[in-house]
Parts: sequence; structure tokens; C-alpha cells
Amino acid sequence: MDISVKRLEHRYMQGTPFERRALHDVNLHVADGTFLALIGHTGSGKSTLIQHLNGLLKPSAGSIQMGEMVLEAGGKKQDLKPLRKKAGIVFQYPEHQLFEETVEKDIMFGPLNFGVSADEAKETAKKVIELVGLPESVLSKSPFDLSGGQMRRVAIAGVLAMNPEVLILDEPTAGLDPAGRVEIMELFYDLHKKNNLTTLLVTHSMEDASKYADDIAVMHKGELYLHGKPSEIFNQREALQQAGLDVPETVQFLLKWNEKSGQNLTLSAFTIDELARRLSESLKKRGK
Amino acid sequence: MLQNVIIGQYYPASSPLHRMDSRSKLIAAFFYLFIVFLANSWVTYGLLIVFTAFTIASSKVPLRFLYKGLKPILILVVFTMLLHVFLTKEGDMLYKAGWLEIYEGGLIQGIFIAMRLLLLVLMTSLLTLTTTPIDITDGLEHLLGPLKKWRLPVHEFALMMSISLRFIPTLLQETEKIMKAQMARGADFTSGPIKERAKAFVPLLVPLFVSSFKRAEELALAMEARGYRGGEGRTRLRALEWHTRDTIALLLLFVLTVLLFLLRS
Repeated sequence: MDISVKRLEHRYMQGTPFERRALHDVNLHVADGTFLALIGHTGSGKSTLIQHLNGLLKPSAGSIQMGEMVLEAGGKKQDLKPLRKKAGIVFQYPEHQLFEETVEKDIMFGPLNFGVSADEAKETAKKVIELVGLPESVLSKSPFDLSGGQMRRVAIAGVLAMNPEVLILDEPTAGLDPAGRVEIMELFYDLHKKNNLTTLLVTHSMEDASKYADDIAVMHKGELYLHGKPSEIFNQREALQQAGLDVPETVQFLLKWNEKSGQNLTLSAFTIDELARRLSESLKKRGK
Repeated sequence: MLQNVIIGQYYPASSPLHRMDSRSKLIAAFFYLFIVFLANSWVTYGLLIVFTAFTIASSKVPLRFLYKGLKPILILVVFTMLLHVFLTKEGDMLYKAGWLEIYEGGLIQGIFIAMRLLLLVLMTSLLTLTTTPIDITDGLEHLLGPLKKWRLPVHEFALMMSISLRFIPTLLQETEKIMKAQMARGADFTSGPIKERAKAFVPLLVPLFVSSFKRAEELALAMEARGYRGGEGRTRLRALEWHTRDTIALLLLFVLTVLLFLLRS
């Protein structure tokens, strides 16, 4: 689904002394099938932005177009359910939203709300629990008997069960152990590829952004600060540092390497493997 | 979503009222609750209104903000007023249309009651608007201090109060967060028949209870880890200070009381 945000502005607690402008003049276009990483310092407006994408927050000015649907400032009240079915949000610490007696029922909550039959929802629950890497036996347990990491997976399964076209992830790996982080991110990436989703990932991790994203958008003080391919973004270290961010570790390493060796190497991908390949290549050339 | 409730909310500003000691404000507000009932004529109500207007002016809280907070209570005020206007049958009849009869006494009574309610609510919200919750509990603990002699756990009460006040915003935030998460999963909190709507709150309440219990446990642990052991021999980081302005404020209130006694009919 194409996403297009135009001149979006959001003010919290409008008309009170506590009024605060969280977003200002944000213009962003995300083409269908893109994996977009949204990065920015705490309080830069990332979470506010994504909550507009399925109508949880209303724009104070500007508009959002999600596929066919347009949400405008001051627009008429519309039925948001179809939009919410298509755009699934995995919130920060999603395990806090679990409430049912059994994992199965909790996963079925979303699909049932969107009018799927109980049998079908049960089938879906079986499918998604496997997808998030948990055994089927978990389905009959209480979500509150699970470990933190398992609860996170169940909550994610609850969002995936709605079978969304757009997947919005708000720091989905915060607070997980390193192995769990990689597993969850790989899971999202696989889904993104397999189901041809449009994915928005809010993250603090430059490594994740560089590894998975087709495009990166950088938010700073409520405005869209940079937007482009990872290679373009990570060439602007000073601009990133202005926004309280930095380039991925691999780029940091390479910049130091270039400084020390007087070479001018660049990366096409930002993984450690790619860095190692580039370095060994250049070392081999030198050896000759 | 839950932004329009101002009872218990603090309005940050620097005004004479903000700078007053919380004890004097508590005493004054409590005292005011009683003397409002002394007024029973136009002159005495006028006096109270002047005094309250003066207090509002010296608090520097914008009227617009106060009005917004009063809105939910206005319905109650208007309702009580109408009850009096229609049901009290005293004095001359002013208006009659079918079974509807309005008497002079009823009208006056209605206006008086409405004013009384408004004045009470205004003054008490001014107390919380100009005093931080921590100051209020500190003040209360001080004022109730003498009760310790009768082994009343005053410190523990004050602590409980400040903890609950402290966590109101947190709880509201959490409510909003979970509401949003469930709405993203298609939950609907705002439409449908009452029975359905009541059921819709289960996905909100269960997570709230779970996290509140968890937080309480964590807080207790953190307090114990930092050596908390009750109020015995505990000193304060910010001691309350009684200034001349506090004495003046209470004197003003005393003068108001005397005037009310003299002028009431």
C-alpha cells in the first residue's frame, strides 16, 4: 500500500498551557513494498508519526493518504476499522497489551474484531504462533505464565494474525536479548519479503536500519530531517550527529580506517561481512 | 483523550498564591468550605464572589483554563439550580405556563445554590491548581501531625496519598497506550450498546491491573533497597516555610468571616 504524508502537523493537548508541537510540516512518501526505517532521537516525533498512519492520532494540520483512504485535519469522522485491519502496529513493549485467559484467545482478538469467523481465527492463531517461533502447545497456556520474551512473541503474533498489508513496528526488539533481537528482526524481514508488505520500522539501532531498510527517514525535533537510501544517509555523518545520531559501527570503523590509511573505501552494504570483504580486498591489492 | 479533567491538576506559574505555604492554603480552603454556607443574601454572596475573584486574579491561572475544568461540573450546577427554580414555591409567582410555576423565592434560591456550588468548586480547584501534589501531602502530614499521639499512621497515609497522586499521570498514560494498542487490533471503545461497551473494557482493564500490581511491587522493592523504613526520624529535603503572606491571607479570611456574620440576614 502506498503511504503518503503531506504537510503533517500534530499538537498535543491543543488549547491548553501544556500544548506541545510534536510534528511540523512532515512530507513523506513510502512506495508500496518498501522497508522504511524511521530513526531519530528520543522525542523526535517518530512514535507520533506512526500513530497517524492508522488513525490513532488525528492530524492538527495536513493529511495522510493510506492506499485509497485519506485522513485529513478537520476531516469528517470515518470508519477506521478497514484501515486498522490493513495497517497493523506492533507497539513498544507489546506484551503489555495481552489480556486474555489463553494465548489462543488473545491472538484471536484482532481477527474477531475485524469480522473473521471463530474457526478461521483459530486456524490463523495456529499459523502465526508457529511463525513467531513458539510451539503450538503454548496456545492453551495463559499469556501471563510465559517468559517476557515469549510474551513479546505472542503479542507480535496477535498483530500478525490480522494479516496486515502495512506493518508498523515501534522498536519491536527493545529489551530483548541479542539472539532474540536478531530472530525477531529476521522474522519481520522474511514476512516483509514473502507477503510483499510495506514495513515501517521505528528503531534506535543504526545496525538494524542499515541491514534491513530500503529507505531511511531521519526525524529531528518533529521534522523530517533526512530521507533517502541508506548509502546516502550514512554518507552524512555530520548531519546525523546534529540530530543526536551516528552512522553504523561499520561505517565508523571504515571512516577511521580511511583516515589512518589514506584510502577512500566505501561500502555498498553496511554489514560486518561486507566490511570485512572490502578490507580484505583492499589489503590483497596492496600486498601485490 | 483524558485531557480535560483539571481536578487535582497543577498549573505551573509563579504567583502570590503559588508561593503561599501549602499549610495555609489547606487551612484556608478547608475554612472556606464552611464560611460559604454563612452567605444567605445578595450582599454576603457578593462579598464571597469579590473575595473569590480576588483569589483567582492573584493565582494567575487563566480564566479559560479554569472554565474548561469547570465544564463537567456546570451540568450539575445547572441541574441543581433548575430543581430549585421549579420546585421551591415561596414568595410571589413570577411565571406560569400550565403546570410550570416559577416563584420569586425559588429563583433566588436557585441562583444562590448555584453560586454556592460554583464558589466551592472554584476555590478547591484553585488549591490543587496552585499547589503541587507533593506540597499538599507535606502540608497535610504537618497539619495532621498531632494525631500521631493517638498512634494514627499519619506519615503512612501521607505517603500513600503522594504515591497515588504521583501515579495518576502514569496510569493515564498507560491507559492511553493500551487503549491505542487494542484499538489498533480493532477494539471499539466508543460505540455499540452499553453491554457491548462494558465488555470492550476488559482488554483495557486486565493489562492495567497487571501492570499496576507489577509496578507496586517494583516500587516497594526499590524503596526497601534504598533503606526506607517508615516515617520515624525522617527529615525533609524541602522544609515548609511559613511567611508573613500566609498570616496575612488567613487574616483576610478571618475578616471575611466576621463581615459575613455581620452582614448576613
